[in-house]
Amino acid sequence: MDTNTVNYHEEKGTYYKVLVGLLLLTAVTFIQPHLFMTGSTFLAQMLIAVVKAWLILMYYMHLKGEKLIGAMVIFSLALVLVFFIIVIGVDVANFQFGAESHITAPAAH
Amino acid sequence: MGHEYIPEIAVDREGNEHEVQGWQDDFYGGKLGFWLFMLTEVMMFGGMFLALAYYNTLHPQDFVIASSTLNRWLGGTNTVILLVSALTMGLGLLKMRSGDVKGAKVMIILTIILALAFLGIKAVEWTAEYNHGVFLGLDALQAGNEHSKPFGQILFFGMYFTMTGLHGFHIIIGIGLMIWLLKRINAGKVSPEHHILHFNIALYWDIVHLIWVFVFPYFYMIGAGDVAGGAHGH
Repeated sequence: MDTNTVNYHEEKGTYYKVLVGLLLLTAVTFIQPHLFMTGSTFLAQMLIAVVKAWLILMYYMHLKGEKLIGAMVIFSLALVLVFFIIVIGVDVANFQFGAESHITAPAAH
Repeated sequence: MGHEYIPEIAVDREGNEHEVQGWQDDFYGGKLGFWLFMLTEVMMFGGMFLALAYYNTLHPQDFVIASSTLNRWLGGTNTVILLVSALTMGLGLLKMRSGDVKGAKVMIILTIILALAFLGIKAVEWTAEYNHGVFLGLDALQAGNEHSKPFGQILFFGMYFTMTGLHGFHIIIGIGLMIWLLKRINAGKVSPEHHILHFNIALYWDIVHLIWVFVFPYFYMIGAGDVAGGAHGH
């Protein structure tokens, strides 16, 4: 990528297109709980957030075409995901200390 | 002896040796290093999201109820402000790269103003929450007294103030970085030919925006559908 010579008027169009996309997705964020996937708002909200994040990463953070940095991002996200699966999926499913835990014990209401 | 200058030699793809004059023009190296820093940010906030998700699995209903009491309009306004600020920052970098230094400075100043607006709205929001007795250290968020909220809500609000607080701290750091950037541009240290600092601060601003993209729905929106009210705040 040539980093020094760009034509402002040619490239600004991409920035505005992404802005419109992000604004539309923000609007979808607001109407989603009343419009679709109303039974699983959490999942729907996170899916919208992932699409927004993808747009920001690819176009505002210039990851499009960056193979090495892109691989680094995927690796670190995968690492977080592995811990997510271990902590949430395995550990929480087999939580043995509910009776004495400070985060579950007072929640007997 | 011992203080003799020994030039560092770099070898290009054809095997020719060159004496290294300095690393300042290593644009890709500067970018790669900053990405490594940003990945540590992802890990830090990622860990917080893990804790949040963990508490959520323990107290799902409390999380939905607590989320429904947050002011979605203020949070949504801040979302749009950050979104537009990401645009002004990006356009500023584009102007710098195309040689329009004055235009780049205007865009950076605009970004600073938007960042201050974000912090102002956050302050209004936190003040309202404090006045309603919901803040770190107040009775409602302490277990075991007559004003205590249900325990899952205490966890929710604890994470809410911690994560939005840490994010707000990043905004403040970002404003400081942008002011520094303006000084470096005025001093002629950042220019269309040498703009790695501008590039990396723009990246930093994007990751601050990116984190908010997940913070906003997790705290403000998960309670939007299941519980009546909430849209007008407390």
